[in-house]
Amino acid sequence: MEILKKYPKLFQWLFLLIIFFALCFAIDVPETYKFIRGQAEFVKDPNQSTFVFLGKEVRYYAFDVFWRLPPLLGWLPIWINDSLFFLMNDWMPMEFWNEDTQEYKTRPLVLQITRNLTAFMTFLIELIREILLGGLETIVAFTSWDWIDANPWAELPGLPWTIVAAGSAILAYKLGGKGLAIFAGLAMTYISIFGQWKPSMQTLSFILVAAPLSFIFGLSLGIAAFKSKRVEKALYPILLVMQTMPQYAVLVPALVLFGVGDHAAVIITMIVAVPPMILLTLLGLRAVPPEVIEAGRMSGCNNWQLMFKVLIPTARRDILIGVNQVIMVCFSMAVISAFIGAKGLGFNLLLALNQLNIGLALEAGLCISLIAILLDKMSLAWANKQVDYFGNLNFFQRNKNSLFFGLIMIVGIALAYFGSIYFKDGYNYLFEVPHNKGISTADFWNKGVDWIFDTFFVYIKAFNTWLIVEVLQPMRALYLRMPAIATIVLVVGAGYLIGGTRSALVVCGLTLFIALSPWWDRALVTTYMATFGVIVSCIIGFTVGTLCFQNKHSTKFMLNVCDIFQTFPSFVYLIPVMMLFGITDTSVLIAVIVYATIPATRYTIEGLRSVPSGLHDAATMSGVTKFQRLFKIEFPLAFPHMMLGLNQTIVFALFMVIIGAFIGTEDLGQYILKALSDKKGAGIGLTLGICVAFIGLIFDNLIRTWVDKRKKHLGID
Amino acid sequence: MENKKLVFGKMENYKSNFKELPEPIKQFGGLIGIIVIIFITFFILNKIFGEGDELVAKMKLEEERIAQERKLNKLISSLPSGILVSFDGTDHFKLSEELYEAVCKATKLIPQRAIMGANFLNFRAHEIYTINGNKIDETFVKWDKEKNKCFAGFVVSGNNVGVDETISVSGEALSFLSTGIDTRVYFIKNF
Repeated sequence: MEILKKYPKLFQWLFLLIIFFALCFAIDVPETYKFIRGQAEFVKDPNQSTFVFLGKEVRYYAFDVFWRLPPLLGWLPIWINDSLFFLMNDWMPMEFWNEDTQEYKTRPLVLQITRNLTAFMTFLIELIREILLGGLETIVAFTSWDWIDANPWAELPGLPWTIVAAGSAILAYKLGGKGLAIFAGLAMTYISIFGQWKPSMQTLSFILVAAPLSFIFGLSLGIAAFKSKRVEKALYPILLVMQTMPQYAVLVPALVLFGVGDHAAVIITMIVAVPPMILLTLLGLRAVPPEVIEAGRMSGCNNWQLMFKVLIPTARRDILIGVNQVIMVCFSMAVISAFIGAKGLGFNLLLALNQLNIGLALEAGLCISLIAILLDKMSLAWANKQVDYFGNLNFFQRNKNSLFFGLIMIVGIALAYFGSIYFKDGYNYLFEVPHNKGISTADFWNKGVDWIFDTFFVYIKAFNTWLIVEVLQPMRALYLRMPAIATIVLVVGAGYLIGGTRSALVVCGLTLFIALSPWWDRALVTTYMATFGVIVSCIIGFTVGTLCFQNKHSTKFMLNVCDIFQTFPSFVYLIPVMMLFGITDTSVLIAVIVYATIPATRYTIEGLRSVPSGLHDAATMSGVTKFQRLFKIEFPLAFPHMMLGLNQTIVFALFMVIIGAFIGTEDLGQYILKALSDKKGAGIGLTLGICVAFIGLIFDNLIRTWVDKRKKHLGID
Repeated sequence: MENKKLVFGKMENYKSNFKELPEPIKQFGGLIGIIVIIFITFFILNKIFGEGDELVAKMKLEEERIAQERKLNKLISSLPSGILVSFDGTDHFKLSEELYEAVCKATKLIPQRAIMGANFLNFRAHEIYTINGNKIDETFVKWDKEKNKCFAGFVVSGNNVGVDETISVSGEALSFLSTGIDTRVYFIKNF
């Protein structure tokens, strides 16, 4: 009894677990239950039960409700599909003037809007692409094909690679100094001589359109949310879901609305990239000290001046960190958008992975990683750069970078002209190294992969078999064995014990959405894969983080490694694991572990760093050993921060599990992948994406609530 | 009126008693309350949507049917392609008694050739069949346990010179056509 009084929480948790396991043992698996038995397939079978809601017929296999809830939300994907179809084909038909046929044409309003939007995006992408690579589409857009035939000189020639490479080195020098300039120059030269120039510039043009637009929208919405509580409240749930929604799932509805290609990819990239910009704008504006605002008001600023002359310049750093985030999300999307036909490095990578040509995939992946690191470093350098308002500089000092760039333009053009004479009969390598004509190491890597397989096949296979048979299959069976009621009791009970009734209601709502969708079983498989990844990642991350924290240099080194790895688009992680483990669940899980270990390590180090140094001194003076200090002082104080790392680890793991569907899993990701190639996949893709987002949000809610309480308890906040 | 006051008073008492309870006990009570609410909700949902034993029986039957069908399909794929007969005196593959029964049970199709062959001996059925655009209402292939024979037939219906007629033609299925994927009735002896 004394123990119960001393540890009431422990007793409550034990009670909850006992109820959970009792339910698991009490409820038998129905005789007719088979995993993924067309429950979510929308197949017709005389044994299925049906119900009709909003005029949509939903078919499902009915079980004991305690075991699996009926998919009462099964109408949602069908309804979304039908609504989209109605919007795109039947809603508000209007007469629109057609330039090509010179007559009015009847078209539904939404279709016309989306087509105009896509045409505008295509124009912007083509414009940037033609500045970088040359072409005539932009000129034709303003003139005609006949005019361009008569004036072939008007065709945009494109920038020689030497100018772009030197230009990016100058920009990097201006933003971050010599080191970054050398890296930028070398990265661009590598991309060019390895024949990846064209796809790289295609990807870059995509980012140069998507990032500024996302920045403008994100900043505007962030300001609106800062100004109005109503806007903030309206945006909050969308921002929350978008944070945990896999980028992959957003592609599916975009296909229906905007079709296939770069334009659709840009629009969907904006949808994904705007939320972090809004959040960071809001964060930056809120962090502006009231004294600064007061000073602005006292100087006689009106609202407009206060915002643009005082608040935004003061919140500059946070806003520019937002720009960094936007660029990174855009880059990540530029790779994933290859699934809906976006050109560039992502497309080449996808093609190479599809052909199982690991060498080519590795080359494309390396270029992606180099550009990602470069963009990240440059945007961060921009954010951290202090503006010198009082520097008394002469004309040359103020404009030296522009002057250098002008000089480089002249030299670059001269070199390209010289190249056109020197390489008269072949390719002008001083203008552009064509794709497949540069240096290639693909064969070397392919031979390396073959060698790995030849040499280590037995061991790899043994490890694969052991992992799948002894660990993964039993774990999967365990998850699938959980009756719906037991899972809901566990999740809702945990919500109640951590955050009270409010938290319990939130997680209950989120869990019910998944349980009432037709993909509960698949969601359990996704959760099992993510859980496995998270457990292993946390063990590695917490250990590595703690060990690295013991030394200043190793801490700095590890944080840099995390920085670099975090910039790689998730898709790139599949290349090395496919090299080693082929196309198996093991590959996906190892990619998940590698990807999810980054936040686990980073947050462990940052959590331990956040412990005040005064406490260290106090502990040392009290005579504690290093070990005691770590376990009695540092860990308890750093734990809330480390738990935020766990939160991030879960989100990273979920993203990777969903991407892993590309190399074969049986979870929600596989269905999202299927929805991408399904004409009626928009509703399914979106609902599945929401399911994944909700899995993330359940953990997010539980962890954040716990962290807030713990911080209050420790007096950290 | 008095009673109501008493009840209200008691409720107030309970409320104040509950408020005075220590926080962990209140929280534990809340946890139990939530679990009970979830249980009740599931019970109600199970009453509305649960199908229980009825569904198990239905699905078992369906699974048996699927298993039987798979077995028959396996058998059919082992048969030689071409005509299979149940009688002697031809060069075609002669079915044993067991095979004859199995093939009969596995066969579902009656092609036009067999229908037209049977119609030769049933002029009225032939007339309705041709007037109504070779339309067949229903076909069937059945194994007669008592006679140990396979029977196949079809129903034609339609308007013949202002009169609505329905004629059923059936007879012993004596031979089948094996395509390697399925078997079809090849000859119906309806005389």
